Order: sequence, then C-alpha cells, then structure tokens
Amino acid sequence: MTATTRKMGRKPLQVNPVKMSQPMGATLAFMGVNGCLPLMHGAIGCASFTKVFMTRHFCEPIAIRNTAVTEIATILDGGDRSVGEAIKNFLPRVTPEVIGLFSTGLTDARGDDLKGIASHIDFPIVWADTPDYIGGMESGWAKVATAFIEQMVQPSAKSEVRKVLLLPHVSVQPLEVEGLKDMLADFGLEVHALPDLSTSLDGHFGENQAAMCQGGIHLDDIRALGSCGMVISIGASMKEVGERFAVLHPHAKHLHVAGIMGLQATDALVEQVVHLTGAAPDARTKRWRQRLQDVMIDAHFTIGKARFILAGEPDRIADMAQALTEVGGTVLAAVGSTSSASLQHLPAQQVMVGDLEDIEDLLPDADALICNLHGHRIAQVHGKIHIPRGYPLYEQIGVQMKLDTLYQGGAMFLIDVANALIEERMRKHLQ
Amino acid sequence: MSLKINNALRIDDTCTHVRTRKAGCGKPEAPGLATGGCSFEGAYFSLAPCSDALHLVHGPMTCVGASWESRHTETSWEGRDHTQMGFTTDIGELQVVYGGEKKLAKAIDYAVENYRPQAVFVYETCVTALIGDDIDAVCAAAEERWGLPIVPIHAPGFAGSKNFGGRLGLEAVVSHLAGTKEPEFLTPHDINLIGEYNITGEMWQYVPLLEEIGIRILSSFSGDGRVDKMRQAHRAKLNVVVCAKSVEAVCKLMQKRWGIPYISASFYGMRDASASIRQICQSLGGAPDLVARAEAVIAREEARVQVALAPYRSLMTGRKAVLNTGGNKAWSLAAALQDLGLEVVATSVRKSGEDDKEKARMYLGPDAVLMEKPEAEQLGVISRTNADILLAGGRSLYAALKKRIAFVDVNQEKTENYCAYDGLINLARDIASSLGNPVFRLAGRPAPWERALLHMEATQ
Repeated sequence: MTATTRKMGRKPLQVNPVKMSQPMGATLAFMGVNGCLPLMHGAIGCASFTKVFMTRHFCEPIAIRNTAVTEIATILDGGDRSVGEAIKNFLPRVTPEVIGLFSTGLTDARGDDLKGIASHIDFPIVWADTPDYIGGMESGWAKVATAFIEQMVQPSAKSEVRKVLLLPHVSVQPLEVEGLKDMLADFGLEVHALPDLSTSLDGHFGENQAAMCQGGIHLDDIRALGSCGMVISIGASMKEVGERFAVLHPHAKHLHVAGIMGLQATDALVEQVVHLTGAAPDARTKRWRQRLQDVMIDAHFTIGKARFILAGEPDRIADMAQALTEVGGTVLAAVGSTSSASLQHLPAQQVMVGDLEDIEDLLPDADALICNLHGHRIAQVHGKIHIPRGYPLYEQIGVQMKLDTLYQGGAMFLIDVANALIEERMRKHLQ
Repeated sequence: MSLKINNALRIDDTCTHVRTRKAGCGKPEAPGLATGGCSFEGAYFSLAPCSDALHLVHGPMTCVGASWESRHTETSWEGRDHTQMGFTTDIGELQVVYGGEKKLAKAIDYAVENYRPQAVFVYETCVTALIGDDIDAVCAAAEERWGLPIVPIHAPGFAGSKNFGGRLGLEAVVSHLAGTKEPEFLTPHDINLIGEYNITGEMWQYVPLLEEIGIRILSSFSGDGRVDKMRQAHRAKLNVVVCAKSVEAVCKLMQKRWGIPYISASFYGMRDASASIRQICQSLGGAPDLVARAEAVIAREEARVQVALAPYRSLMTGRKAVLNTGGNKAWSLAAALQDLGLEVVATSVRKSGEDDKEKARMYLGPDAVLMEKPEAEQLGVISRTNADILLAGGRSLYAALKKRIAFVDVNQEKTENYCAYDGLINLARDIASSLGNPVFRLAGRPAPWERALLHMEATQ
C-alpha cells in the first residue's frame, strides 16, 4: 500500500460540499434533550434551512424557533431585543423545559454576547456560540454537549462508580446510541447519553416532535450527571468534551474511544469496560461478536477486492475506513467535511479535507462511493456504486434505524456493503 | 455594512398582501414565530433552475450546505447541470475579519475556468453583507476579465421573506441580462414564463402544448431557463406569471421598461390549464387561427384526460377532501380536485393573498371552510365535514392518522408531478391509492395490550 497523503483544501470555494454547518450540529444536539426547544439566533433562513434538512433526513417534524434578525435589527440591536422578543412571543404557545440558544454567523460576527443575553432572561437557557464560519456539524454538536455540562450539571460530592456519562459524536445514529447504552447496561452500568437521540429521533409513532423535543435525556438526569464515576467519549470530536467533564468532576474517570465500528474498535471498547467493571459481557454481546467474525469471513471475498471512496463527517468516515480495511478493503480516498484528529490515522491512500469535486478524478479507479445523498448522482455518472451514509439523506427512509456500530452493527454494515458489490457484479454479468 | 437591497421592491401595490398587511410582502416575520424561508432561499430557488448558469453562494455553510441538490428540478440543458451542483465560498473566520472579496474573486475564476458556465450568479448572504464585501465591484471586474455575465444577487437572508427574495433575485437577473441581446427572429406569439421552476418537470406538461398551438417560449425565469434566452426576454409580447404572485412587481418593471403586458396563470387541474391556455391566446391578440388551434388542443387533451380518469370516477365521486397548502394552490389545486369529482370542503388560506381568498371562495362555494389557522383548525374540520382525505404537507400526516383518513403529500419537495392534463391523471392515481390504502386505518390502531385493557374495563 502506498503511503498516505494528507492535505487540506486549498481551493477558494467548495464545489459539491459535504460540509454541514455548526448551527446544524447544534440543533441536532438540542434534539437529544427532552423538553428542549432550540432557538437559533440569526436570520430566518438559517433555521428554515436547518429545519428542512433535519425534517427530510429523519422524516420527522423538527421543533426549532429563531430570532428572525433583520438588517435593521442587525444594525440597531445587540441581540438582547430579538432574543427577548422571540421568547416572549413563543412562550404563550409552547412551554419548553429549557431553551437552547445558539448563534449563527450573522449574530456572532456582530459580536452578540449570548452569555450576557441569557443572564438577562428569566427562563432556563443553555447557550452556545456556534457561528457557521467556524467548524462544522461535529463541533456544533460538541459545543452544545459542553454547554450542558458547563451550565447545567451540578457538582456532586459523591461518585457513583457504575454511573456513566456517554458522549456520542454527531454521526452516531439513534439506534446506534441505543446499542451503546444497551451494551454498557449489560455490564451493570447506569448509562446516560448526552445528547441522546435514541429516544427522540428514532422515528417512533405516537409523539409529536413539532412543538419541542420529546424524548432524549431528561434535564433532571443532566443536572445529576455530576455523580458519574465514568465518562466515555466516542470519536475525536467528543474527546475534549469528555476531558472537560473530567476536569469539572475530577472523580469521573475519562475513557475515550476513537471509533465504534468493526471488530478491533468494538473489542477495544469492550476490553476497557471489562477492565473497569470487572464484569464479562452478556451472552448476547458475545454471540454478536461471533456473528461479526463470521460475516467478516463471508464479506472479505468481495470487500477484500474492492476499492472505496468515503466522504462525510470525519469521526464517521474514520470509523468506516477501519471497518472496511479490517476485511481487506482498500480506501482510495477519504474526504472529511472539516479538519479533525480523526483524519490523522485514517487508513486510506489519500486523506483530505474537501468536497465531492475533489474525489471525481479518483472515482474511475473506485468500486463504491460511500457518502450522503449527493454521492448518488456523482457515482451514477461514473457508473459506480453509491452506498448512502451520512448527512443528509433525503431520498431514503429509515435512516435513523441504520445500525453500523459495535458487533451487531458492524456485521450489518459489512453485509450492506458486500451485498451492494455483489449486486453490481451480478448486474454487470447479465449485461 | 453595505446594504444593496432593492427596497423599492419591498412595496408592491400589485401585491394584494398590501391590503391586509401594512408593508406588503416585505414585512419581516416576528422573532420566535417566524417559520418561513429567507430572502436568500427565495432568490436561490427561483434562479437555480437555470442550469447553464453557475450559482455561487458567497457565505458560510448554513446557506447552501444542506440545500443544494434538494429539489427535483428538471432541465433539458445538455451541458453539465449546474442546478444540481453546490458552489459556495464557504467563508471562514479569516474572511469575516479581513473581508471576503479576494476569496470571492478567486472562486469566480475557479468556477469559470473549470465549469465554463454561460453566466455566474453570485448570491450575497447575511454575513457577507454584514462584513461589507463589495460584491458588485468583484462581479464587475470578473465580468470584464471573462467576458461573461457575472450577476450579483443582493438578497441576503435578513432582507426578509422567501417571496421577497424571489422578487429581488428575479429583478437582479432581469436588470442585468434582459435587453443585452436581440433574438434572431421574432414571432407574434413570443412569451416569457416567470416563476415556473420546473420542479419534477411540471412545465413540460404544458409547454409542448403551447408550442403546438404556435406559442413560443422566448425565455423562462427560470425553469429549464437559459442565460442566452434571458438576455432576449425584452422582446416578448407577454409575460406569463406561473404560480408566483410575489414576482408580479418585476413584471410591472418590465412592462414599464419594455411595454410587456403580463398575466397570471395556473396550470393545476384541467379547468385552470384550459383557461390559462385560452387566456394566453387572448392576451396575445386572440388571432382566429391561434384560438382555433388552442381549442383543438384543449378539446383533445380534455377528452384524453376524461378517458384516463374514467376508472377513478366512482371512487372519487362524493368523497370529501380537506386541502392544506399555500398561496394560490389553495384554489388551483382545489380546482384540480374538483375536476376529479371530489368535493373540497375546506382549504387553507394562511399564506394566501386577498384575491387568492376570493378565488378560493369562488371555486369552493359558500359552505366551504377557508382555514386561516389550518394547523389548529384541520382536525375539527375533518370531524365536522366527515372528510375522506387530507392533502397537505408532511407535517400534517398525524392529523390524518389521528382521524384515520387518507393522506396525500402536496409540498414543494414533492416527487410527483400534478401539473396540467397529465398531472391530473397522476393526482387521481395517487389519491386513489391513498383512499384504498389500509395503512391509514391500521397504523394508528390500539396495541393489543391496550385493547385487552379496554376489554377488561368493559367487562368489569
């Protein structure tokens, strides 16, 4: 294998971007907190674009309000007025337990002081600075998780060894969060995920998500997180969040794992948990490991000969690259939406921060492109397979039910990829 | 901060919103209650369907990151389809501090060099307006450098509503392009289409019929549009505004400048499609041969539709529909439903202007409910009227499931084409499959343990 080349985008623009903005990641994080109403501080479009994005991706109504900043307000107001007015206007119609206030490029560039604004308003608010000219979805999500930790978690004198704060990164899908919680619970741990999409955006019938977030971690549980004896952060984007928690609550042991896809990554997580709890995994986890082992053997016949290009959020593409290379797959290129520590050890021939234009020259040499909905058209032009993963996916249904992580999801992921390759081979054979 | 928003377009006395709202369509929505899209969104989605132009968004990633390639907009352009591509300067902290003009100039150069579009439309956004980038100067210099139209679009999100942005965008393109090239030849029946975006190929349901009648589409703003044709738009004999009242202000400007009259048309449903074709012919002078050809086409199409709809008639007749959609679809889609034999017992007029409301009343009759607050009203209306089907945007699905009636999604991200004669057949097919689908009865049924409990309570 040739040495990996790593580069940052040097272009003056993005062509066919895969990057999503920081306020979008923040919105999604607020959707993992029960009773939370995200209030985006910016012009109306920022919230409208974000709402459409989330609604179409998850096939669920999404609650979000905005401060509708106009050009006049931009000149005259420092944010106090529009935020105050927004809250005054919506409170008679909806009463959230907490308001998630976050900025956009417009209000951040103007220098609005969200902390000050929040302190002048007599209502529970958690705030985060999330301008869209910095970072991306991963950092927006991480900033909101940090905001809850810094602004809401109460210090606790006692430490509960078996109580765990789980910090999933933004690309860990609802059922994958559930899988993590379940597996850790089987070790006898009490697990709280922050944010927790597994009970809010898991696409269940019955509750109306349109007014505010229903499901997700409860505020009382967030306040009481201070007694956690352990914090587990998943993915490079959440490492600092875990570190921050451990600094604020020194009795908590911080366990960081880079990824949760494939055999080695899952083994590493399980090994550490076994070590910390002194318990063995339950029969179900052990059985799924055996199933994954079997799938790896079955899948290597196709994936082992296949060449992939990945694009998307760094923590997820790094994870996918690990899972694919474990069965001999070759990752020709991986394109991250933003720069990240995850990209530093990603096993691919080329790793870059860029867009889908950057991989078009490489596509003729690849078999499959794994990325969001935009990969479909581009892959089709080059006669390649598109395997839909990442944000956003507008045409598929059941996106939130996808399970690609841990032993079980790892098996499902390899099956999906191998079958896509097999189908393509059969199609070509018939031609 | 440089604000180049064309405020003259804010007040539009042709817009009937004026009568009910103090400042017309340009009036901003209230903080905390605003739900609509912004001016940038309006400008982008109303111009991006022109696929031989390249659409470069000068701003941060929220503006276009999740919204490019998000609509099923069709084009017959044989070159690379720029409509379905995303281009943005993705400005960072560096630009916010030092300005984004250099990056924009380089981005334009890169885009032109690599993609050779017929023009570049450069969209200003809130942040680049706030930091004071002189987009006009950058575009003018690039235009000089490349000998290609580089059109600045000043419709930053904070200027106002999506409708207002659509107007700003159209005006920018008309002012920049129209009148810069003469057509090779003229016909007495040259028209411009305005506000038609060709989502799911809707315009192709009626444009071939217009052409068959002898009407030429000189240019389209912007569905299946071409930059070269937009430059010739000033020679049209008539502007036909399709489903977009908010852009009539721009038609007025064109009328003033080039003497082009305009009419408003709708192609939803058979009656409206036929009426619109007749209206276009009359507005073009109503020459007997033109009218005769139109009548022949209309007769043929209506007969064809009647045959295609026959199998659905018994299923539709007497069924009651509640419609919850926006703008002029409040009545135009209602008319289409009536064409199918459904009784439309209620329609939403939340986003409609005064004359849309009048038309809705005219089509629906005195007993129908015009819902001002459809989200709050529709459940009650469904109960009171015993409606059989709800046609609305996706978020109303639960209302239908709750009432266990059929549902059809009619929003702007829709993947089905309900326009003109063939569209009516598609609509009939979709309504029929909804009416016959057991899912609306079954999905919300009580769980077995709930039923067991009910049974136990009843027998106690």
